[in-house]
Amino acid sequence: MNTSPRKLNLDEWDGRYEQLRRDGLREPGYGGPLRRHVVRENDFRLEQLQFDSSPASLRLWNFLLTENERLRQARANGDKIVGTMKDLGTVPVMAYALPGVRAFYPDGAWWTPCLMECSDRLLQQAEAMGIDASFCPVRAMLPAFENGEHFPKPDLLVCSTGAVCDDFSAIAQRLEHRGHPIFWWEIPRRRQPASGELACALPGNLAAPTIQVDCVRAELQRIGNALGELAGRTLDDGGLAAGIRTANQVRRLLDTLRRTVYSAPAAPLPALEMLVAEMLAIHFCSDREETVAVLEDLLAEVQSRVRQNQFVIGADAVRIFWVNPVADLRAMNLLEELGGRICGSDYMFTHALDLIPENLPPLEALARTALADPMVGPTADRAARIVRECQAGRAEALVVSRIPGASHCAREGEIILEIVRREIGIPAIELEIPPVCDAMLATLGSRLQALVEIARSKNKAKS
Amino acid sequence: MDVFLTSPWIPAEWVRAHGLQPRGIWSAENFQPGTWPLSAGVCAFAEATVRFAEALTDSAVIFPTACDQLRRGFDAVILRGQRRIFLFNLPATWQTASAGQIFRSELERLGQFLLAIGGRSPSPEVLRQEMVQSGGRRKQLLESAPASSPRGLAEAVARFHWDGAFSPPPLAAPANQIPLALVGGPFLAPHWKLLDEIEAAGGRVALNATETGERSLCPAFELDAAPGNPFDVLVQGCFDNIVDVFQRPNTRLYSWLKPRLASRHVRGIVLWHFTGCDLWRAEAQTLRETFGLPVLLLEAGGEPGAAPRELNRLQAFVETLR
Repeated sequence: MNTSPRKLNLDEWDGRYEQLRRDGLREPGYGGPLRRHVVRENDFRLEQLQFDSSPASLRLWNFLLTENERLRQARANGDKIVGTMKDLGTVPVMAYALPGVRAFYPDGAWWTPCLMECSDRLLQQAEAMGIDASFCPVRAMLPAFENGEHFPKPDLLVCSTGAVCDDFSAIAQRLEHRGHPIFWWEIPRRRQPASGELACALPGNLAAPTIQVDCVRAELQRIGNALGELAGRTLDDGGLAAGIRTANQVRRLLDTLRRTVYSAPAAPLPALEMLVAEMLAIHFCSDREETVAVLEDLLAEVQSRVRQNQFVIGADAVRIFWVNPVADLRAMNLLEELGGRICGSDYMFTHALDLIPENLPPLEALARTALADPMVGPTADRAARIVRECQAGRAEALVVSRIPGASHCAREGEIILEIVRREIGIPAIELEIPPVCDAMLATLGSRLQALVEIARSKNKAKS
Repeated sequence: MDVFLTSPWIPAEWVRAHGLQPRGIWSAENFQPGTWPLSAGVCAFAEATVRFAEALTDSAVIFPTACDQLRRGFDAVILRGQRRIFLFNLPATWQTASAGQIFRSELERLGQFLLAIGGRSPSPEVLRQEMVQSGGRRKQLLESAPASSPRGLAEAVARFHWDGAFSPPPLAAPANQIPLALVGGPFLAPHWKLLDEIEAAGGRVALNATETGERSLCPAFELDAAPGNPFDVLVQGCFDNIVDVFQRPNTRLYSWLKPRLASRHVRGIVLWHFTGCDLWRAEAQTLRETFGLPVLLLEAGGEPGAAPRELNRLQAFVETLR
């Protein structure tokens, strides 16, 4: 059997899994063949995807796809469940600092229609609840809350508001109206400090006026009080500092993984697995300790492949920087099928990848991290980071992936494209990817192909 | 210098006290939503604001952060090099001291901006005078609203937002029409024809709760109770009286609507929104569920009044309420 790194479809993974088992594969409690997620959970999309062939990637996928099951088990074991919405990375650090508390993002339900190929009918149910297809696929969380068939109903629901997407805010408001009380907290739109104004440095080479940081810190204190009340114990600075250290352990692992994969001469891990791995940063897929183990495994696999010059995508692939997460995971496969590879990414939560300062009072550090969210600041700030990372990753092209119905996508894509073209002059396109993109594959494919060809021809002209 | 405001929650009094002329952008002659080609998902109102701000040479535009579209519209205008624009951070929450503090500090920051573009530092007396005057006119408009002709009221409110003046709206002609509420985002002069079309269909807008209607007159100043610095009263009088869909939770909007819908015997709600406005569109079902009234969504188009298809829907809506 061929054991060199490669991409496998689900049928091929069945055989691969049997072989691994025969060879003595040891798995965590949530382990098992990928196929079972199709059979038991109706995750039909897996049948259309290409996966990395390593046991580390198998563990990653099983970790991701068992999240709801693990959350239910945690609830049964007496843990408190916090649904945290929109801030993508900050509140979970606080929640996991309390023993017996787990946080997850109901926002993650936006991938359910993709995974289940809409067989769950969540999008149709959302429409019946007044939120139609003109809204982002995150509307899937609305019926998911009500039917209880996906994630458990949280004991506390926290949502950031202010400088957030309109569609998300509107859906969350609808959720509250339907009887799910929400703890709203304000995240102001980040701005540049004025001349002479007191300012703070933020992660990601950003800055904000001290008054904004103070506001967010006060909001996080309110959340901390609510979490403490839920847990029956005070969330103190010692606990928070320990929580930040563990979050940073995850962030360091991801940083090493990203740098190793994105800077390698060819891709040692496919784009899809990298997307899933990066997502672990935002709420540790409901298990902080296991996230560390999953990432350590993945990193070891990648480092070993790089040492042995083993890659899953050829060195001739065009290096592409990707902006925004894709509503259909299939798109990440498609990019590679057409001759591209990811050399950098901004999946809307770069602030969850940056280290949280450990030399500041914990709430201050978290407030600065929350304000560094690329989605709450000026689009030009986000674009500036993209430019820097394109340069660092030697990107040859850029893709801005539009999320259907997302309010931020209406305008930010053109701003990012304009800045990237002006600053570094690489070819760039915007694509809209629906939750199941099969009907659009030809269009998406031809646009991606054109991008790859233009990037290649520019390279040839240079050389 | 004219300073164009794109939200009724940014106090015109503060601009006027700086010696500058506040103008509600809704009434500007060359403000033309619906006439530009739109990228997918872009709100026509936000696009018109962007185009308007980009073209200005001798005025300023104040954007609010109340929605993603205007927030990012501001980003687009900055990218084109326009510097006489300001993004006012309107907090979405309203129950906490820190939200009030944001609003206060934004007003102070706006003051700095107004000074930088040629305004003068306002004395407490001047500010107080502006607040007394505008507060009185708001009150007059609000008191006259229930008995006014819908179009007359729309014109009077627009006039107030344009130059701060009060022109008494004409009384509504008594007729046996079905009382409706018009709820939603900005309702501009080219759209006023819709009010006539509603009347022609047998209805009447008994409550104009759009962003440019009665709802926009909510700020109120209790100057007598606070003889000190009028700035504190300005902050409180504005922040405590914001009634809008972007607030979280947006219960203030519903609390404001409830007694008015009841007292004016409203039998149906027309939800007025621009394409791409998620915040208003998402409220349709909640409005139905909360008030038990039928709701008709009407989309702002490029032409005056309602587009033929929309007009047809409107007529059918009123007919079903007979």
